[in-house]
Amino acid sequence: MIKAKSLSDLLKKGDRVAVSNITGREASAVSCVSQVYCNNVVAGWSLGKAGRTITVPSGDDIPVFGQFDQMMNDLPEDKKPNKIIVYSPPEAVYGDVKEVIEHGKGQVETMYVITENVSIEVTAKLRRLCDQEGFDIVGCNTLGVINVHDQVRVGAVGGDSPAESFLPGSACILSNSGNMVNTIASYLQSAGLGVSYGVATGKDPLILTPMKRLLGLAERDERTKLIVLYVEPGGTYEHEALEMARAEGFTKPLLVYVAGSFAEGKNVSLGHAGAVVEGNLTTATAKMALFDEYLGLPVFNPDHQKEFVAQLAQTRRGLRVNTLHDLVPAAATLLAAMEWERDMMPKSPLVLKPWLVNLGPLAGKLPNRLVPHVEAIIEPYGSLIKKYIHSGLGRTPSRQSMRNASHASSNDGVTPRVWGYSLLNQMKAHSFVKSVLLYWLGEPVRYEFEARLFEMSLIAALTNGPGTISAQGAKLCASAGNDPHVAMMTTLGTIGETHGGNGRLAAKLLIDVFSNTTLVDPYRRDQGIALDELAAAHVSTFKKHKAAAKEAGIDYAKVPCLGHPVFNKATVNHDPRERIISAYLEENDLYNIFLDFYHRLAKELYSQQATSKVHAVNVDAAITCVLMGIAWPRLVEKQMTVERALDLPFLAFALGRVAGGAGEYLDHRETGTEMDMRVPVAECRTLGRARD
Amino acid sequence: MNVRVGELGFLKELAGRFKIPAPDYVVEPVAQSVVREKLERWGAGIIKPDVLTGKRGKAGMVRTVTDYREAVRMLKQVAATEVSGQQPRTAYMVQSVPADLEVFSAITYHSGLLGPSLTLSLEGGVDIESVADSAKATIPVCVFRGLNAYEASEALSKLGLDGQLNANLARCLVSLWDLFISTGMLSCEINPWRVTRSGEVHACDFKATFDENNRKFRDLGIQWPEYPTNETPFEEEMKDWAASSYRGQAHVSDLGGKRILPILFGGGASTIIIETLSQLGGDPIFLSDFGGNPPYERMKQTAAICFKHYLGEATLLLILGGKANNTRIDVTFAAIADALQEWVDEHGPRDIPVVVGRGGPGLIQGLGQLKKTLDNLGMPYVFFGPDTPITMVAAYAAELASLPAEPQAEAAPSTDAAPQTDAAPQEVTS
Repeated sequence: MIKAKSLSDLLKKGDRVAVSNITGREASAVSCVSQVYCNNVVAGWSLGKAGRTITVPSGDDIPVFGQFDQMMNDLPEDKKPNKIIVYSPPEAVYGDVKEVIEHGKGQVETMYVITENVSIEVTAKLRRLCDQEGFDIVGCNTLGVINVHDQVRVGAVGGDSPAESFLPGSACILSNSGNMVNTIASYLQSAGLGVSYGVATGKDPLILTPMKRLLGLAERDERTKLIVLYVEPGGTYEHEALEMARAEGFTKPLLVYVAGSFAEGKNVSLGHAGAVVEGNLTTATAKMALFDEYLGLPVFNPDHQKEFVAQLAQTRRGLRVNTLHDLVPAAATLLAAMEWERDMMPKSPLVLKPWLVNLGPLAGKLPNRLVPHVEAIIEPYGSLIKKYIHSGLGRTPSRQSMRNASHASSNDGVTPRVWGYSLLNQMKAHSFVKSVLLYWLGEPVRYEFEARLFEMSLIAALTNGPGTISAQGAKLCASAGNDPHVAMMTTLGTIGETHGGNGRLAAKLLIDVFSNTTLVDPYRRDQGIALDELAAAHVSTFKKHKAAAKEAGIDYAKVPCLGHPVFNKATVNHDPRERIISAYLEENDLYNIFLDFYHRLAKELYSQQATSKVHAVNVDAAITCVLMGIAWPRLVEKQMTVERALDLPFLAFALGRVAGGAGEYLDHRETGTEMDMRVPVAECRTLGRARD
Repeated sequence: MNVRVGELGFLKELAGRFKIPAPDYVVEPVAQSVVREKLERWGAGIIKPDVLTGKRGKAGMVRTVTDYREAVRMLKQVAATEVSGQQPRTAYMVQSVPADLEVFSAITYHSGLLGPSLTLSLEGGVDIESVADSAKATIPVCVFRGLNAYEASEALSKLGLDGQLNANLARCLVSLWDLFISTGMLSCEINPWRVTRSGEVHACDFKATFDENNRKFRDLGIQWPEYPTNETPFEEEMKDWAASSYRGQAHVSDLGGKRILPILFGGGASTIIIETLSQLGGDPIFLSDFGGNPPYERMKQTAAICFKHYLGEATLLLILGGKANNTRIDVTFAAIADALQEWVDEHGPRDIPVVVGRGGPGLIQGLGQLKKTLDNLGMPYVFFGPDTPITMVAAYAAELASLPAEPQAEAAPSTDAAPQTDAAPQEVTS
């Protein structure tokens, strides 16, 4: 039977916690949060992981031992754990608990088994062992326990931010569901109630620290004035708890929610065995009746709070609610009936806070209470909604089945058309590049120079020498004796986000940066857009992310399309292909705000010491700036989707490079020897060993 | 799901292995000559359907036969007749054994004792739970030491069973414990043991459930038969779909409601949402739990199955979950939006309100994706973030769904639809 004499014996400030299987994904993540919240995890153990540490952002790293006995031997006296969290896999739980019992006796008081899917046989054995050896055990499948006044927790109660949901107060939450401990704590804040303890009992068929034990501890706890129960069907725990409450004359009122009545009669019913042993006390309905009988009141009705205050002042045993959010008015009713002060000023009231509403004509047919209005949205969501949902950059296409259908092309049996424009007229009067842009944009280019810049981009993309991956692809095809179309496909197959496709990321960067500005015409200089400030802000954000990522030991997102493996020797570097595009713009007295921004960005990175040199604005950036110049007015006018704008730079690169790949193939096929791309065996390295 | 086993499985696989005396039996299809030979030896046989449901006797599906021709006919008839809505796998005939007494027994885990227990009763039948305490005995069993013959004998004595009968039955109960603990069961019953005054014992009728978390039952190496279920077509399709991949959950249970089509995320949250909807008259069509960070294709097909079965008749679409830890909202909402679009492409517009509540990674992008689609489809909507409790969103949805339905023609999207601020021209003009 339970050894704890009070709730604080389950968990209090100064308790030292050790975690089994601490290197597991969930165990390490939860331990990190706990460590930041309350710094009570002294160590963990995990077979074969001795010597590691769990790095904690607060700096209180957690040492990892290979086995429990080794941990107990090596830890100094003041660090030896008195609480154990079991995160082991189901098959290992029994062994790990036995190990704790064998080597932790006299030291360890309580074990919390977080593991799910532990067999009922093992669960029963854990209870028996712990009873015999004098340990308390909570679980299995518990989320843990939190002692709010002491600001300590075990397990994952409170999720990633326990301090948000749990403010110190007078309500003790005992719940079969772990998540509901958090939810109820949040709800109680709206009634001005804080929490003394939150205990997730676990929801396996056998609850090893059952309700009657916990209720007894809560009755004796000085910080607890009332007890909130979240009850699920199954077991006779509540029946036994209420019998004890009656017999021992419990004084603290209950707020009760019983879940699961909707499922009754819909699942396979218990067989005779269950019926014989468990009787009819285990269903949700039966449990509701048990509580109603104990409380001496009908289920709480928020519309009749006054009547309930009067009745509850007499019965003083508490209320049962029908829906979970009725806990808030029920708590207020209880406080009024008991003539108790609130723990604190109520947090924001529990009301509907809609973020996006468009009820259309339906709104006119609804009563006012069902037409919610959007008010201030909490941050950071409010700003994000403004930026991503209400900014309105780009077109929202309508979707439909596109089988046998196209907006982009047609053929009436006489004239093939592109977006309605006669292909024949295109042939007579326009260039290839203009026709391609018509196909991609859905309308003709607006300026002649756009076609010329696009053409220059295609030329720039043709090749960067035979060593490029895509040229190698074409050459491999020739060497293998493939036909030219295969070489073209292979050229396309050997470009991707890293080789040639970085323009998509650059386009995304430009959209992110300029979507918050008033930019309409990218070819005009005098639009009052402070490019240096934009560049400085972007670099500053980039540096922050880079620093955080480096500290966390993870890769960080680089600024796309800056720098080149060849053109990188000087303090200030240039990609000669980009220079040609820039020169064309200058010679023709043209301006592209995106290219200007990119150059300023490269310089700003250097001046803020984020880079050691001014990186070249590379050809991918130049192509992206050309295409984004063409796309931008169409985005602002909502004639083009953002997705299409993001795709354009890579499409241009691919179109140019596939033509280049064809050229590479023709050369290689005519003058190369068969299989000449093959790497001789002697030049290949083996990075393994023979295994048979 | 925990695997269940009935009498036929017990007779075939377990009784012999654990030395529990049981009557002889034959299983349909069986040759007439075999039936004739068995009945000549037994005198009488009892024909039963092989189905995992109670009340077989009350349904008139348990028949005593003495004539072999009738037995053959009855075997075929019982095998083809549903019991409580469930189709039997087959039918079988067991030897009718004489009895002066029937003893009902169950071994299960007891929430009050927090361990296994043995319950014995002299009265059975459907209303066994109402058997008076004086007519039944429950004893705790040490999960380590197990049930010994002395303890079993004591329990039998409490019911007034003594002598040879007590000794023989006690031995059988020990064997039953052996079966229970060696195979990782949650519960098992023999209802009843048929006992003669001379102490002859037969285990008649058996029912057990294995604990799916206990690998012992898998180690038995027995392939338990699959019983026809009474799942609805929706449940069946979703179950097959759920089983096709381990990525993301797709659990549903039909509730028989008519109004709210709920696409819900998270086990605990789903329960509480359905609970709230049910209590407030939301009349949810099914219970669902689609968490576990499903990838796009998985979520899209999951939503498509829901829409295929119920979007046509629902009066409100509810997409609701708590604040996700891992599930990507942008991915799951884009998938739901696309499944909705495809349903409308195929079946035509549907203008029921959509109520959404969610939190988690990629939330704003997800809401944006869903909003775009709903704007395009002209479906009215209200979106909530994680700062509105899920039960309040559910309560709002329940009230919205319980309003009397407008005639379809009036409610259809019309030219006076609310301004679709983000909606762009349907086609790019050239």
